[in-house]
Amino acid sequence: MMHTRFPVLRSCLVSLLCLAATTAAAAEPLRVGMELSYPPFEMTDAQGKPTGVSVRLAEGLGRHLGREVRIENIAFDGLITALKTRKIDCIISSLTATPERARSIAFSEPYLRTGLALLVAVKSPVESAADLDAPGRIVAVKKGTTGHQYAATSLRKARVLVLDRESSAVLEVAQGKADAFIYDSLSVYQNHRRHPDTTRALLRPFREETWAIGLRLGDDELRDAVNEFLKTFREEGGFEKLGDEFLPEEKAFFKARGIPFVL
Amino acid sequence: MPRWLAHLIVVALFAAGIALAFWRVGYAWNWAGVWDYRQKFVQGWLTTVGLSLAALVASIAIGGGAAFMLRSRRPLVEAAARTYVELIRGTPLLVQLLIGFYVVASAVGLENRYVVGVAVLALFSGAYMAEIIRGGLDAIPKAQLDSARAIGLTPDQTLRLVVLPQAVRIVLPAVAGQLVSLIKDSSLLSVIAISEFTLAAQEVNSFTYSTLESYLPLAAGYLALTLPLAAVSRWLERRFRYEAA
Repeated sequence: MMHTRFPVLRSCLVSLLCLAATTAAAAEPLRVGMELSYPPFEMTDAQGKPTGVSVRLAEGLGRHLGREVRIENIAFDGLITALKTRKIDCIISSLTATPERARSIAFSEPYLRTGLALLVAVKSPVESAADLDAPGRIVAVKKGTTGHQYAATSLRKARVLVLDRESSAVLEVAQGKADAFIYDSLSVYQNHRRHPDTTRALLRPFREETWAIGLRLGDDELRDAVNEFLKTFREEGGFEKLGDEFLPEEKAFFKARGIPFVL
Repeated sequence: MPRWLAHLIVVALFAAGIALAFWRVGYAWNWAGVWDYRQKFVQGWLTTVGLSLAALVASIAIGGGAAFMLRSRRPLVEAAARTYVELIRGTPLLVQLLIGFYVVASAVGLENRYVVGVAVLALFSGAYMAEIIRGGLDAIPKAQLDSARAIGLTPDQTLRLVVLPQAVRIVLPAVAGQLVSLIKDSSLLSVIAISEFTLAAQEVNSFTYSTLESYLPLAAGYLALTLPLAAVSRWLERRFRYEAA
């Protein structure tokens, strides 16, 4: 028997606290990290709210897990650090699954197939990725991307410009300061459409990649739940709907040329 | 207590506090990956040293020139300097770099990004330097200038013998502070793909995912540049010291 002044009151308070703790844990928001500067996957609408394919995926995941979703806008090359230091719970930011990254974080099953392509300056002699590694070639990449990793490991003779934003890299190519920008084929296509006279697009990927959701190593419970969500989302035709909503033109364009683009 | 001992105790306490914070967080150190890239760090550091030195010298020259223009009685000259100072001080360095390199330099045909980077950085720091130097020059009482004229000194001699010795002593702490800021602001040159020290650390972080192991050497590298500068400034202050009337 508890020898306290107010035994009933104390038990009530303790059970209330336990109830609050469990409900708080269940309702803990899912913090999703992404860089909102990559339309149409991660972007903001006219009112400044996050929108895009990845945001829809995040919302779907939140519904599946029964948790509120909070989108954290973090620079791309800081996403893995944010995940490892527990500032976010997962990364849904068009993140390519690579063996190097898999040493630091865990990946879900892939949800999109794409590849590295080239946005080439109109006056440059570059016709393929093989032409890049020659003295005198200048190649632009965005910091922290697989294009950056490819340039660091495979381009020994060319000069590599490491930029922190896609827009700067595109400007470098459009102004002829760089021969090519290594980026994913979809973005290369979109940037070429915006700069039709100053750039060429070599869209067939010279290296195929898949995108997956990034999770902390050891967070197996969340990973299994995410994989389950991806499976049901695809079965329900969720990815088809996203492709039709955000990328109808690109889907048709890529399909017509037989270039992999599978959402 | 001797001064050096007091300084040592304070620094040791500070370092102990930082070490305690790291220990509490339980950070898993991985120095091997960063050690592999040490050459990248060294090259980046040397680039930063070169860029900072060039911008440093240029900004003092630009700031000095603009300070004299600000005090000019000719309206167009003063207006030009005032516009320069307010515009450059009032806009972010990031914006100046992006517009300066991708718009202005391209229009003028200047392709070398290192030259453009140093120029933008020097112009940025020069605007702050101009106000600092102008303040020092204005602080000389008019009575001294009148006395100098009374004893027959030419304007040039007045500047050299009366104004500058006093003005230099007044502006030295602020100028040193501005130069220290310039060294750290040079890290922003990475946005136009200049491979300086901060970009090197960020690249190593991208490859090894060892964030703190990349950024702690970065902090140490910048301290290695700014601490000597501060020490030189203090030495110069002692040299220029004199008993005021």
